[in-house]
Amino acid sequence: MNWLGRAAAAAERGAVHALPAERRDWAEAVWAEAREVPAGWQRLAWRAGGLRLIAKEAQMMRRTGILLLFAAAAGAAAWGAWPGSPVSHGAAVQGGIIITLTLLAGLPLLTRWLLGPPDSRAARWLRAGFYAAILAVMPAQGAVGLFVGAVPRGGINRHTFDVLNGNGGLPVPGSVSGGPDWGGEIGILFVTALYVAVVLALTARRTPVAPATLAIGTGAGLMVGVAMYTLAPLGFNPEYSTRPWLHGSAAEAFVALFWILLVGAPLIAGAIAGRRCYAPDDPGEATAARAWQGFAAGVVSGGVGALFVAVLGTGTTALLLKSAWMRDWLYHGQHLTASAVYGRELYASQDVAAYFILIVGFPIIGLVMGLAGAGLANPVRRLPDSGPSGPPRPPGGPPGLKPTPGGGRLADAGELTAPSRG
Amino acid sequence: MGSRTEFSPQTLSVLAALCGQPSAWQHGYALSRQTGLKSGTLYPILIRLADRGLVEACWQEEPVPGRPRRHLYRLTPDGLASAGAAVAEAEMAKTELASSQARQGARPGRGRGVAAPVVP
Repeated sequence: MNWLGRAAAAAERGAVHALPAERRDWAEAVWAEAREVPAGWQRLAWRAGGLRLIAKEAQMMRRTGILLLFAAAAGAAAWGAWPGSPVSHGAAVQGGIIITLTLLAGLPLLTRWLLGPPDSRAARWLRAGFYAAILAVMPAQGAVGLFVGAVPRGGINRHTFDVLNGNGGLPVPGSVSGGPDWGGEIGILFVTALYVAVVLALTARRTPVAPATLAIGTGAGLMVGVAMYTLAPLGFNPEYSTRPWLHGSAAEAFVALFWILLVGAPLIAGAIAGRRCYAPDDPGEATAARAWQGFAAGVVSGGVGALFVAVLGTGTTALLLKSAWMRDWLYHGQHLTASAVYGRELYASQDVAAYFILIVGFPIIGLVMGLAGAGLANPVRRLPDSGPSGPPRPPGGPPGLKPTPGGGRLADAGELTAPSRG
Repeated sequence: MGSRTEFSPQTLSVLAALCGQPSAWQHGYALSRQTGLKSGTLYPILIRLADRGLVEACWQEEPVPGRPRRHLYRLTPDGLASAGAAVAEAEMAKTELASSQARQGARPGRGRGVAAPVVP
C-alpha cells in the first residue's frame, strides 16, 4: 500500500508540470490535501483523483493546442493565398478566403451541437486530413491564380500565349474586363462548405457510421487519388493528357487501372464496410445499417481521392511555376525552350481549374458505388447469443440506426469484441 | 426531464456545502466529506466555479508545522447569490416532483429525477 501511495504521489508531482502555470495550484492543492485523508485506500483514491484532474486539464490543453494549430495553419494559408494587386479578381478571392476560414471555424461548432463531437481516432484524423487539404490548396490555388491572372510579360510570352490560344478564344490573362469572378468563387465556396459539412457529419458521434468504415473509405480514396495524380499531376484536362512522366503503354495501363479503381475501390469499400458493420436483427434495419456504411465509405472514398489529387496537383502546378527544380524533375532529359516552358506552365495553370470536375464527380461516383457495394455485400453473419464461438451481444440490444440518448454510434463487428476505442 | 438549472447535481451539492458556511474558508477534504464527491470530481467543479468567479480560493497563511499548506475555498458574493438561487430552485423542483409522484402513486426514487443536492 505504501509503495502504491508513494508511486501515485510521485506521478502526481511529475504530472503537475504538464499543466499550465495557472492550473498547477489546483493539482498541488489535491496533493497537499492528501495528507489530511486517512492513510490507506482512501488516500490512494484521493491521489488517483488528483491524477484524473491533471489528465482532464491536460486534455483541455490539447484542445487549446488544436485550436492554436488551426489558427496558425489558417493564418498561414490565408497569408499565402491572399491575392496581390496584379490579379483582377482579387476582391472575390479575398472574400472567398475569409468565408472559407469562417466555414472551417464555424461548422464544427454547429455539427458538435447537432450531432456531437467525433468519438474515434479515425474520425479525428479524417477531419484533420480534410482541413489540412483545404488549407493547403488555398495558397497553391493562389499562386496558380496569380500566374493565370498576370498579363504576359510581352515578347515571347505574349506571342506564345496567342499561339497557344489559337484564334484568341481565351481572353488575355490579367486583362479580363469582367471584374471579380464572384460566380466561380461562390461555386467553390458552396462545394467547400458541402465537403466540410459532410465530413463533419459523417465523423460525428450521433451519425451511425463505424470508425472502420471511415478508415476503409479513406484507404480506397487514397488509392484512387494516387492513380489519378499519376495520370494528371499538372492539372486535369479531359481532352488531352497532362502527364509528363507516363508514355505509351505505361500510360494506357494506368488509365485502365485508374478507371478500375475509380469504380471498383468505392464498390469494394462499400461492400467491406457493409459486411463489417453490426447489423440489427430486424432485416429492414440491417439493410439500412449496411446502406449507411456503404454510403459513408463511398462518399469518403470519393472525397479523399478528389481532395488528394486536387491538393497534390495544384501544389505541383504551383511549384512548377515557382521553382526550376520541379520543372527539371517533371521534364527530366527534355530540352525545352522558354516558349515551351511557358506553354506548359500556362496549360497546367488553366487546367488546375478543371480539378473542380473531380471534386464534384468523385464523391458522386463514390456514393453510387459505395451503396451498390453495400447492396452486394452478403448478409452479415448473425452473432450468437452465447457460446464460446462468438462474442456476446452487447447489452441493451443492438445499436441499430437510432442513436442512443447518450449519443452512441453504430459499432462495427470488430468493436464488439474490443469495446474500448481510442 | 431533469431540473433546468444551469448546474449539475454534483455542482449543486458543492454549492450547497459552501452555502452552509458562506463566510468561512473550507478545504477540499471537508467539502469532499460533505458532498460525497471524490477528489477527481470535486476539484474540476471547484476549478470551473473559480473560473466563473463564483468561488474564490487561497492558500492557508499559517500552515500546521510539518504539514503542507492547504488550499481553501469560499463563495464570492456573486457565487453566494447564484448558489442560493440554484439550491432553492433545485429544492423546489425536488418538492414538486415528490408531490407529483405522490399524487400519481408512483414509487419515488426511480428514473432520472431532479438533482438532490446534499445540503450540509
